[in-house]
Amino acid sequence: MSEVRELPLVEAIKEAYQQEMERDESVFMVGQDIAGGIFPHTMGLVEQFGTDRIVDTPLAEVGMYGTAFGAAMEGFKPIVDFMFAGFFLNAASPILAQTAQFRFIHGSQMSLPMVITGACGSGMRLGNEHAMLVHNMIAQVPGIKVCMPSTPYDAKGLMISAIRDPNPVAFIWHLGTMMDRGPVPEEAYEVPLGVAEVKREGSDITLVANGIQYKNAVEVADKLEGDISVEIIDPRSVSPLDIDTILKSVDKTGRLVIVDESWDSRSTASQIAAQVVDVGFDMLDAPIRRVCIPDIPLPGGHMEPYVAPNPDAIEAAVRDVCQ
Amino acid sequence: MALGKEQMKTLYRNLVRADHFDKMMMNRIMQGKLIGFYHPGDGAMAAGVGASTFLGENDILNPHHRAHGMAYMAGKGIDVGRYLAEHTGKADGCCGGRSSFHWSFPEQKVYGASGFIGWHFCPVVGWGWASKRKGNQVVLMASGDGSYGQGGAHEAMLSAMNWKLPIIFFCENNGMAIHSTADDMHPMPDISSLAQGYGMPAVVIDGQDVFAVAETVIAARKHALAGKGPTFVEAKTVRLREHDVGTPDLARAEPRDPEYLEELKQRDPLVLATKRVLAEKVLTQKQIDKIIKEAEEEVVVVEKFADDSPIALPSIEELQAGVYA
Repeated sequence: MSEVRELPLVEAIKEAYQQEMERDESVFMVGQDIAGGIFPHTMGLVEQFGTDRIVDTPLAEVGMYGTAFGAAMEGFKPIVDFMFAGFFLNAASPILAQTAQFRFIHGSQMSLPMVITGACGSGMRLGNEHAMLVHNMIAQVPGIKVCMPSTPYDAKGLMISAIRDPNPVAFIWHLGTMMDRGPVPEEAYEVPLGVAEVKREGSDITLVANGIQYKNAVEVADKLEGDISVEIIDPRSVSPLDIDTILKSVDKTGRLVIVDESWDSRSTASQIAAQVVDVGFDMLDAPIRRVCIPDIPLPGGHMEPYVAPNPDAIEAAVRDVCQ
Repeated sequence: MALGKEQMKTLYRNLVRADHFDKMMMNRIMQGKLIGFYHPGDGAMAAGVGASTFLGENDILNPHHRAHGMAYMAGKGIDVGRYLAEHTGKADGCCGGRSSFHWSFPEQKVYGASGFIGWHFCPVVGWGWASKRKGNQVVLMASGDGSYGQGGAHEAMLSAMNWKLPIIFFCENNGMAIHSTADDMHPMPDISSLAQGYGMPAVVIDGQDVFAVAETVIAARKHALAGKGPTFVEAKTVRLREHDVGTPDLARAEPRDPEYLEELKQRDPLVLATKRVLAEKVLTQKQIDKIIKEAEEEVVVVEKFADDSPIALPSIEELQAGVYA
């Protein structure tokens, strides 16, 4: 294979938009200030696709989201960009009460192919509303898929899968990964939804992490190398959750630490822990540890670095479990 | 534009049918033969019939909760048997018995009802957006006065007018939202006065006059298809009964005035329409009797279909298979 060029994650997302919009006329984007681009992932797209397909709406999340929701029923494949993922809460009712459950309640007659996207996460000290990760709030409701990339490769592949999927898919990306560079093939390709990946093999402990926390996990694994052999799994999707890949790893290592940049209670971390105990209790040589945000709103200011999961907290959990 | 005689006959027939269906639903909820609620449409079926009867095949229709959309079914040729089967949790229901009253007929572009009043101000933007691109369809967005309290109403009208979307905001103002009066909840007597802020053409009509409603909606539809954007049609109507069967019929916290309700009944749409079709010789009394008899027979067929259908009790595994496409 020839050498693959490197792109920042945000450019990988943009390439997915571009290639899918070129491939399929029914794909369009709707959001606020996406023609100009608040983040680089939509910058310049309006020149290629025009305002019919790069649609800016007023500051009105319900109407903005409705452009996508209604158009999906009419055979279009919208990508609706909330800018900051937390802003989805302004349209939470139509997303969670209607869109996600629509297909099922109406007798599985309709498909709603659409991508709901937005950026969020710790690192910029933006305070709770801009920073909070919303993947678990969305993933609680059946009928909508939820994914979050950790690498530029996965960002492009997951976005392409999300656009092609016949279901609503929430694609949440972490601000802390925006400019991370990594190999991204030029051609279009899919990274399947609902499939985790063992990103680093190890034998002593299984460490599950995504988004910026995947980077932190790698940092910790590097630091512990020679002392503790860490296997890192990136769930990539939190709904559907690929528990089998995690169980297979835990069967090998006997130990599990889950990092989830979310409130601890009712998180993906707690869900993984529950499922591993249900099915793999006998595999475990030590208690499972979760590294999450304590159940307090994520503060801005100077508190974010120690309230949000961080390499020190991850390392401490790994060492604790491996004692 | 004046309606032709055939159009008037069709409207009259649909009004009679809708009235019979509403009474059927009333009877069934009283007999415990309906799942969930029923919000009776008694005396207020003309607006929906007039608005929907001449919709195009591609037009998107969103009915509201009053009479559970029964007044709006005619124009879309909704299979009332499958509708009733749905409302009774039967396997032949339009949504497999899963939705109770959140029915839909997506193939006919009735994408579903919701218990969240005003929910449709959200997808209506996309329905309008898609319709504009397709160029051969409009959206009839029906709702009551109460739903215009929702913030989404503003967001929908904003984008509809910015983008000149082919949407008819069809508001049935019956003056009541559960126990709240429109007088208390809206600062202006006409809900359609909201349209002024968007520069949207608006009209107030008599929602008890099925013919006037149809004429107005036909004109609004033409306006939309010509690329001129949305219109706001406010049909003044009444609510003769309680909000939903079993809830006390109050205005604020007091029972509604029986004399006032009696007065409202004088303008029953069927009484008005019958007078007119006879006076203008559109129909004879004999023809009217036949229409009524056919509607009665239709109710029997519809009820038999729903009652004969087995109760929908799929396994958890079957249900799980229906969550994702």
